[in-house]
Amino acid sequence: MQGYQNSVLRVDLSSKEYTSEPLQMEWARKYIGSKGLAIKYLYEELAPKTDPFSAENKLVLMTGPLTGTVVPCSGKLAIASKSPATGTISDASIGGHSAVRLKYAGYDAAIFEGKLPAPGYVVIRNDKVEFKDAAHLWGKGAHETEGLLSAEYGHGAGILCIGPAGENLVGMACINSDYYRQAGRGGLGAVMGSKNVKAIVVIGDGGVKIPNIEKATRRFIEIMKEDCLQEDNTFVYDCGTTAFLEACNDGGILPYKNFSDATDENWVKYNGDVLLASKAGKRGCASCALGCGNFLKIGDATVEGPEYESISAFGPNAGVSDPEAIAKANEIADDMGLDTISAGDVISWAMEMTEKGVHDFGIKFGDAAKYQEYLKLMAKREGVGADLALGVKGASEKYGGEGFALHVKGLEYPQYEPRGSWGMSLAYAVSDRGACHMRAYAPNEEVFAASIPPYTPEGKGQMVYGLAVHNAIKFSLCVCDFWATLEKGMMAELVSLVTGEEWTEEDMNAVGERVINIARAFNQREGFSRKDDTIPGRLVAEALKSGPAAGQKIPQEAFEDMLDQYYGILGWDENGMVPGSIIDTL
Amino acid sequence: MVVTILLKGSLAKFFNGEKEKTVDLPDGCSCEEALLACGIDWKQEKNFGFVAINSKRVMICDILRDGDELKAYPKISGG
Amino acid sequence: MKRLKFSKEACIGCQLCAQACSAMHEGEYSLSKARIGISSYYDKGKELKYLDAYCTLCGICAKNCPEGAIEFGDSLALDSGKCTGCGTCGPACPRSVIKYFNEKPLLCDTCGGAPVCVEICPHGALKYE
Repeated sequence: MQGYQNSVLRVDLSSKEYTSEPLQMEWARKYIGSKGLAIKYLYEELAPKTDPFSAENKLVLMTGPLTGTVVPCSGKLAIASKSPATGTISDASIGGHSAVRLKYAGYDAAIFEGKLPAPGYVVIRNDKVEFKDAAHLWGKGAHETEGLLSAEYGHGAGILCIGPAGENLVGMACINSDYYRQAGRGGLGAVMGSKNVKAIVVIGDGGVKIPNIEKATRRFIEIMKEDCLQEDNTFVYDCGTTAFLEACNDGGILPYKNFSDATDENWVKYNGDVLLASKAGKRGCASCALGCGNFLKIGDATVEGPEYESISAFGPNAGVSDPEAIAKANEIADDMGLDTISAGDVISWAMEMTEKGVHDFGIKFGDAAKYQEYLKLMAKREGVGADLALGVKGASEKYGGEGFALHVKGLEYPQYEPRGSWGMSLAYAVSDRGACHMRAYAPNEEVFAASIPPYTPEGKGQMVYGLAVHNAIKFSLCVCDFWATLEKGMMAELVSLVTGEEWTEEDMNAVGERVINIARAFNQREGFSRKDDTIPGRLVAEALKSGPAAGQKIPQEAFEDMLDQYYGILGWDENGMVPGSIIDTL
Repeated sequence: MVVTILLKGSLAKFFNGEKEKTVDLPDGCSCEEALLACGIDWKQEKNFGFVAINSKRVMICDILRDGDELKAYPKISGG
Repeated sequence: MKRLKFSKEACIGCQLCAQACSAMHEGEYSLSKARIGISSYYDKGKELKYLDAYCTLCGICAKNCPEGAIEFGDSLALDSGKCTGCGTCGPACPRSVIKYFNEKPLLCDTCGGAPVCVEICPHGALKYE
């Protein structure tokens, strides 16, 4: 197939050696690239029960066949590993420009194995790899690090780096690029830190060839104008993800004070109109047609963002409605290299623990100044930060408050309240990497749609299955989520044009289901099953108080029913296990 | 009765870019009927999302009252 | 005479312009083989800055070519027969547009009057007027 470089860079950090090998093209035929192919490599190469912080874990950077072409919104990079937060497979999608740099350096993927003997950074310059000393960078924030490296290697270099959180092996540590883009969830930054890798610099002077490139380019431009650049997608150019705030508040799914309620009458104080009044510029990722990045200077904060998740996590979910504080918390989290969703949730949980008197973490709802300080303490594992760095699962196991510690498998809950959108509790429970809103985005069908009733288990298995398959394919091409109107038929056309081989919508569906299954098989091999597809106690025991979903809670039987439906559709057994007959096909 | 209708996102095209209109409607009108009166048939609109009365999501068939604010949203994807 | 015009306020730094340019001229998507080099970056994370290397048809490359190998009319054209690969034009270009490939300069030819960079720019930051 064309579109691929047919080359995987394998870096042995322990011996500081590197080789390149052909891409497993048979695997690419089954998983295409990015998310799916990264998981396949890890499934085949990682032994079960590998310690995520050991030298035996691998960090996989994976592009797809579309990467480096002018297919709009194709410039994201999949990064995957075994997660130290959950113990599951965990893949994330990072924006910026590194994916295209890696592809232009001549690689489909770079796989990092082993561990550097001392803190260092890796420079990939086309076919040469250098291992450099990072003593002068270790301990620095991600922003200062990126500044120093771009001064040395130029603004054309793709830079992936970690902040103190990754260095200190915090399970919520992310990998940064372009200062404000992250591979956010699952602690991938901590895996990188465990390998003593402070940064990966990528310089790529090559290119990507596809069949009939001039004709294909004209078709991609046509598709960009007719499909990608319509308002259902370009709203992210206009207002980023701040657009979700009002919809979630009206829809009754906006988390408030550690998911104790689901609306915030103060949302107008920190909404898009307020935040974007301080817009100082717009930016997108490589090959992007949309450009979702809003560069803000508000108060003493400078940040590209904040995105909906960060706004909610540092805003209503923490009892804060100060837009400057929210933006500043986002900036600090980015610089520390912390996932805003998980870090925000831990802090909100700690606020409730303190207010309820279960354990005094010294912070209450609304204390924005303190939470900015706490983010730094968590990244450095200092003081109270040492406990909070454990995440809500670890910290609640230590101090109690498990009923309102919202996570699945140790990954903290994203900012959509399932009591207002029951299918979301299923989506969170069965997501491959723990509670994640990007595997199956249920609100799109249950809340942001006028037809499917949100407060029932009926039909939710099929709904979540369909959404999960859709995103599994999309993130294996990969194309950015924000090209929301991209349908499977067009996905097939894009892959066909780039690879020079015919892919159909049926092929796409098969890939999507295969990706879900291989991720599940990986987790199954690690010991995960139905018992780990959970719903937090709060959602079952406590009813929401305000908004359209007031009075709603999710009965355990309804949740179990949704799990049964989902397992049944995928052909898994009642324990959520993938049968051998399916595993053999993976 | 008098109702204010706000169209969010791509739905604003139905008001030629104006985001808001105040309209006169018969008493007991549903959200669906109110939108139809403005030329919007939600079933024909592929990306139609949901409706909210006074900032609270409701079903398309729910009834409006005098002075209500009706918001219509498109679907929005992402996070 | 029409020329390329760039307004950074509309630029999102996607580099689709360069990718499309190299596709149409060199048969591959690449930044190093493009006859345009526009990008944006965060300077230390604090300021959004732009690099805007695009041909404005100033003609300085043609004037400086010791072999007269660069024709300058409504657009630039390289006479490969005359070009000796001396490397004078690149450093002379005031906008640092000219890159070299196999020792020959890559000159913007405005795609014969319908620049693909303008066509692909998603937010109209590039115009040809």
